[in-house]
Amino acid sequence: MMAQSTMRWRYLKQKIFFGVVRLSALIISLALFGILAYIFFHGFRAITWDFLTLSPTDSMTAGGIMPAIVGTLYLTVGAIAVALPLGIVSAIYLTEYAKQGRWVRIIRIGVNCLAGVPSVVFGLFGLGFFVVFLKFGSSILAGSLTLGILILPTIIGASEEALKAVPQTFREASLALGVSKWQTISRIVLPSALPGILTGAILGVGRAAGETAPIMFTAAAFFTAALPKSIFDEVMALPYHIYVLATAGTNIEMTRPLQYGTALVLIALVLGIDLIAIVIRSSMRRRKRW
Amino acid sequence: MENNVIIKTRNVDFYYGSFRALTDVTMDFEQNRVTALIGPSGCGKSTLLRLLNRMNDLIDGTRVEGEILFEGRNIYAPDVDPVEIRRRIGMVFQKPNPFPKSIFNNVTYAPKLSGITNKAELETLAEQSLRQAVLWDEVKDILSRSAMTLSGGQQQRLCIARALAMKPDILLMDEPTSALDPISTAKIEELIDELKRLYTIIIVTHNMQQAARVSEYTGFFYIGKLIEFNNTEKIFTNPAVKQTEDYITGRFG
Repeated sequence: MMAQSTMRWRYLKQKIFFGVVRLSALIISLALFGILAYIFFHGFRAITWDFLTLSPTDSMTAGGIMPAIVGTLYLTVGAIAVALPLGIVSAIYLTEYAKQGRWVRIIRIGVNCLAGVPSVVFGLFGLGFFVVFLKFGSSILAGSLTLGILILPTIIGASEEALKAVPQTFREASLALGVSKWQTISRIVLPSALPGILTGAILGVGRAAGETAPIMFTAAAFFTAALPKSIFDEVMALPYHIYVLATAGTNIEMTRPLQYGTALVLIALVLGIDLIAIVIRSSMRRRKRW
Repeated sequence: MENNVIIKTRNVDFYYGSFRALTDVTMDFEQNRVTALIGPSGCGKSTLLRLLNRMNDLIDGTRVEGEILFEGRNIYAPDVDPVEIRRRIGMVFQKPNPFPKSIFNNVTYAPKLSGITNKAELETLAEQSLRQAVLWDEVKDILSRSAMTLSGGQQQRLCIARALAMKPDILLMDEPTSALDPISTAKIEELIDELKRLYTIIIVTHNMQQAARVSEYTGFFYIGKLIEFNNTEKIFTNPAVKQTEDYITGRFG
């Protein structure tokens, strides 16, 4: 029989522990909502129809941010278009085809290291390789490729996890029917893994849309009123526009509302893309339950 | 049992890495008969079953010695495509493993990929296979429903139908009822009795009554060796080897 006081002490410890856990969750949510609310209250007054649909005017102290919205959309879609196929194919190789051993471990370590590289290094790499060496110039193409490499580790990691989560029995069942390995992967494994892969893509989108350093040297223009005509054109981009207004603008104090407004638009854009992906994912999950 | 042997093993050794799981197994499997493989856990019976359609190829670091002759040809010869072998030698697993697809698409999945595209032909094939697996009456009105909504026993019969849709010559069954309730088990056993008219069946089972009920021949395995292989009746009434008798009478296992 345990002494009453010991029991009480154990319950107390449990309470303290749960309290700490709850508090941590609360702090994290508060931080998130705090940032969102702060930006919303400072930025929402700047959001008008003109702000969303016009180009900046008066040396970027007035007017809208439409070119930056379009630019960020192009860059993000471009980055996903580069990284998603490449990432999925790499993950398929690593989990389905490659013989598990030292070689695969080295590749995985490489991918993880890539994830830890500071984004400005990606920017410099993009400048050196895509912009200068491949002569793409500062362009949507160079920026998308740079951002694509930046988010590649995220997408490979998520895709690998998603592929590994597909029950081995599905693969066995398919192969035992005399279906080839590639058909098994494309018809059974990939469709089952798609919701998980999409999660990786969502994270990638958020990162690609929000990064400033990688596009600073590879894609982003200080100011262009015109919309890009091809993937070899420079574009404005939301994060870079915020950076410019906040540090190098002609009148930093006066454009504060514009800066917050731009930040709000960027957040809304990322959340919007996430939302679409989440809806697609959950509808896929409903169909693929096991 | 000379004439109608469809698949046979000759001095088969099998290794997982350096661990020898099977030693010198030589067996003949007769056409349109049910052969049961019995023995305690880890005796190598499932390993042998998975060797017969090259499913062990999927495990890294395994090695086969000896020959497995299917219609006279060694299925481990370098020029043999394991995919081709698996089309002709189907398999049903211990746990029902339908795909997260509709019932219809589960059955027609492999035939479609092997080139049948005609919708009417696929529908006929699906009905035929589901009837053979005695599942048709239960699912004919819900073919587009997800296979995951079926009960465990129905799922297992669906897996049988799915294997039959490829019109295999041999059906391998790896403890097909061990995850099922007694009623579903009885249904599958009846089904096995029907299916042997058309197919050769090799079944691994932990349940000795099941082996006695469904099979014509029984092989008893112990620590990777085929200890005794004979008519089921002989094995269960008058085994020649002491170890077999000890096992079937439950003295060890």
